Amino acid sequence: MFITPFTHHRPAGLHSVFDILAKYGDDAAVYAGGTELLLALKARVLRYEHLIDLKRVKELGGVRVENDFIGIGALATHYRIANDPVVLASIPEYASLSDGIANIRVRVAGTLAGNLSFAEPHSDPPALLAAMGATVQLVSADSERSVPVSEFIAGEFTTMREDNELISEVRVPVTQPNEAFRFRSFGHLERPAVNVAVGCKNDDGKTAFRIWLGAIGDHPIHAEKVETALRGVPRASLRDVLPAATEEFTSGLSATSDLHGSADYKRHLASVLMQRAVNEAAESASSKES
Amino acid sequence: MTDLHAHTPISDHLEKVTGRAEFISDVVVPGMLHGKILRSTVPHGIIKKIDTSAALAMPGVVAVLTGADVAQLNNHWGPSLKDRPLIAIDRVRYVGEPVAMVAAEDERTAEEALELIDVEYELLPYVTGAEEALAEGAPVIHAKPEALKDFYFKGEAKPVPGTNIFQKYAYEHGDVEKAFAGADRCFEGRFEFPMVFHYAMEPHCVIASFHNEGLTLWSCGQSPTAVQKVLSRVFEMPLARIRIISPYVGGGFGGKASVKIDPLVAALAWKVRRPVRVCLSISETMLTARRLSATVDVKTGVRNDGTIVAKSVRILMNGGAYADTGPAIAVKAANRAIGPYRIPNLKLESVAVYTNTVPGAAFRSIGGPQAVWASESQMDEIASALDIDPVELRSRNILRCGEHVRPDLRPIDVEMAEAMDIALKEMTKLQSLDADAKTFGGTALGISDPGIMPVASVLMRLKIDGSVAVVSNSVEIGQGVREVLRKLASEQLNQPMHAIEVLTPDTAIAPFDWGTAASRSSLMMGLAIEDAAKDIRKQIADIAAIVFSAEPSAVRLCEGGVMIGNEKKTFNELLHSYYGIDSGEIVALGRVSPHSNGGRLAQAPLFWETAAGRCGIIADVETGEVKVKHYVSVADVGRALNRAGAEGQDEGASIMGLGHTLSEELIYEDGQPINATMIDYHVPTIDEVPENFVTVLIESGTGPGPGGMRGMGEGAILPVAPAIANALATGYGIRIRELPITPERVWRALRDKRKV
Repeated sequence: MFITPFTHHRPAGLHSVFDILAKYGDDAAVYAGGTELLLALKARVLRYEHLIDLKRVKELGGVRVENDFIGIGALATHYRIANDPVVLASIPEYASLSDGIANIRVRVAGTLAGNLSFAEPHSDPPALLAAMGATVQLVSADSERSVPVSEFIAGEFTTMREDNELISEVRVPVTQPNEAFRFRSFGHLERPAVNVAVGCKNDDGKTAFRIWLGAIGDHPIHAEKVETALRGVPRASLRDVLPAATEEFTSGLSATSDLHGSADYKRHLASVLMQRAVNEAAESASSKES
Repeated sequence: MTDLHAHTPISDHLEKVTGRAEFISDVVVPGMLHGKILRSTVPHGIIKKIDTSAALAMPGVVAVLTGADVAQLNNHWGPSLKDRPLIAIDRVRYVGEPVAMVAAEDERTAEEALELIDVEYELLPYVTGAEEALAEGAPVIHAKPEALKDFYFKGEAKPVPGTNIFQKYAYEHGDVEKAFAGADRCFEGRFEFPMVFHYAMEPHCVIASFHNEGLTLWSCGQSPTAVQKVLSRVFEMPLARIRIISPYVGGGFGGKASVKIDPLVAALAWKVRRPVRVCLSISETMLTARRLSATVDVKTGVRNDGTIVAKSVRILMNGGAYADTGPAIAVKAANRAIGPYRIPNLKLESVAVYTNTVPGAAFRSIGGPQAVWASESQMDEIASALDIDPVELRSRNILRCGEHVRPDLRPIDVEMAEAMDIALKEMTKLQSLDADAKTFGGTALGISDPGIMPVASVLMRLKIDGSVAVVSNSVEIGQGVREVLRKLASEQLNQPMHAIEVLTPDTAIAPFDWGTAASRSSLMMGLAIEDAAKDIRKQIADIAAIVFSAEPSAVRLCEGGVMIGNEKKTFNELLHSYYGIDSGEIVALGRVSPHSNGGRLAQAPLFWETAAGRCGIIADVETGEVKVKHYVSVADVGRALNRAGAEGQDEGASIMGLGHTLSEELIYEDGQPINATMIDYHVPTIDEVPENFVTVLIESGTGPGPGGMRGMGEGAILPVAPAIANALATGYGIRIRELPITPERVWRALRDKRKV
């Protein structure tokens, strides 16, 4: 279907964006790549009188390096992220995730900020970003705040972003020499059914894991119990602890049966993917150390 | 002999890669309006009221068509059963059925106007599953559909009045029950095949225009003459006043076969008295046609050495809200369940039923994949139970060329054992490449009796400058038919490829042809071109006799002219001398009928379309994911006229089969199709194409067409699903009997196996 008629705005600066948003309120929406929004508009699930194209807003562009984090501007596409030398060197697992998102047409147009804003549960980025400790920078006309990705997604298609706010940047901590991340995603349709992100950090021979699950629920889920069970377990002994820990955790997960799979299958997938990602992250972290 | 094909680009490739090729959506007719369709949101209901006033009041809207408008027309049609209204009249029978249609100055306005139309339904009980449709007390979707005899296919459907059954077919030879009783072992199984969507890249698109000379349609239909015939009946107009033009079509696969949206678009143009263009979206196309889902029960009786003594097959097909070509599909499914084996006692039954779902339709090898899925899966189950290698079991029963599949059908005309053997050898080569992760192999064979009506004709016009126009109704749907026609004409007339022009099909100038479907066009047109070329040669010899006193038998066609003995005369010299002016042409009609070639084309099937498939797979036993690493597809095509094109057809059919095997399924819940979008319905992408794919086309020269060719393009879809299921059984000990083989189904089967 066609998108219902709208007025198109192409502001060049962030202030103009906020002016337009203030003027039209709920009747306006911002977009960059449009890969999520346009589908919803064409399906007429959403309607806006005013669409604000952010692509000319200079403040939102680019990927920058701070001391300990990579700042991914709201206009950075998945393709850019996947191929940026700085991203590849600093947060390689996230670059690799970006390279596997959807298909090339989506990757060259779609942005990370757009993906997070849309908050489609069957999506890859949130779980890994949560595991990496990434934050979302939200700006409004007169303020700026930071929200961890782990808290940013409130539920299906809903986030902590206020109507008068925009994501300006996603800040991802640089992966340290003693840590490694692994991301595993699985699904037989276009979008993932379940995904798992694992971070493994080696401190003087002691390992600590960060484990997040995505797509199975409506927001990223922190597998703290598994992290606790694995804390300090030597790599050689992981296999003794890991299956029971992941199965116990996933068996208690709430999941829904849908096109992507039945609830029990998704729980099983979560457990399998978690075990694989934990083993790989542990191996990678230990090889980095040596 | 010089290579007549050298350095001549494939007919449509240059146009397509440069974007110049004209598809219907590129056609602009002066004064053209744009139509959009309002579709039913309920699976079954009475239309209580349609309020179109707000839509009509919208600027830019010219007309709204509803069922009330078509009362004066012969408003029901169908290729087999006259069960489908032009547009919903008093009731709707599936979610997606056209209920109202807006014609507006532009597409956007038409679409906006749809939202202003208010439809009130009185809901009726509905049924979406075939078993439920047969159950006592099920809502009857069509009380008494009228069967049309010999309308599109030969024969007529056998609906059962007062039930949802629109076709019943039965066949038997020998005494199956007695043979089962005497068999050492009997195997029974039920196999499920889903509703799947054609996914041609170009959705349905039609432009209709009424004018002083009648009605002209730019149609995406694969069967222009069937469209013409249905329109002639609906509007009670002579066939000669209806003209169907078929520009390039972006894929059909059966989804555009027989007749689809053409009468609906024509009805809107008829009401508004202006040309109307309707281009569906992919999601709308998903609500227009799909493959019939099927439940197939197979029982096979064997001796302990694996010899088949009897087989019975019962197929229940879900035909959707309108029968379309479903009655023929049900018959073909039964025949295609037989397989290339000696079966002394055979019983086939098939039943197709109406349900409140998207109408079922022809789809690449009608009924074939459903039937072969069941039969070839069971062959491996038998092999496993008898501890016989699956290929060996097939060998012990396989028909040799010339033996009967069914006594009343043409004997099989290929050596299936050879194809199976090649598939096995090629796969062994591929599997020798396996590194750490070894693949498991699975084999399946498919044979089908193409539903080809030997009814076709072609016009060839040899111009004075040596150029040749080939005029036919064979639609270029991406299968490469224009290139094949060019090659055939080039060969038959001994003229260079660049001299041959294959014209856009247009019923106003092209002679009758049954349609572009059923692996028939190359063969049928080949025979027709052969016939026309014979006539051209005769006319030329007669003219040469008149103008150059040549002995007709000494006249031979050569590049650009004729050889009379050792002397060359150009076409120009010949025709200039004959007509007295430097102008003119020779026109010939080539014709194929059941009486052609001494009646040898009359027996069905015209040839057997076959395929041997073998896959090499790896499954992830934890997630259940199946990866097809290698695939080999083998078929005896008689002769490959355009090898690259033929291999492309074979590969395309196989990969299409991968879709219904691993992921594709249109799912209904509460009467609604819940995944009819390309986001939720997964068609294989290049990522799923096997790393190694080998196509072997055997050129035995044994087909009925020029040079011994037979048709192809559909067969390779047949073995894919059972080959993969068989490999899963061999490698992982699980037998999946329900498609698609999703990772979850594999995981469940593996888990259930561990529990045992």
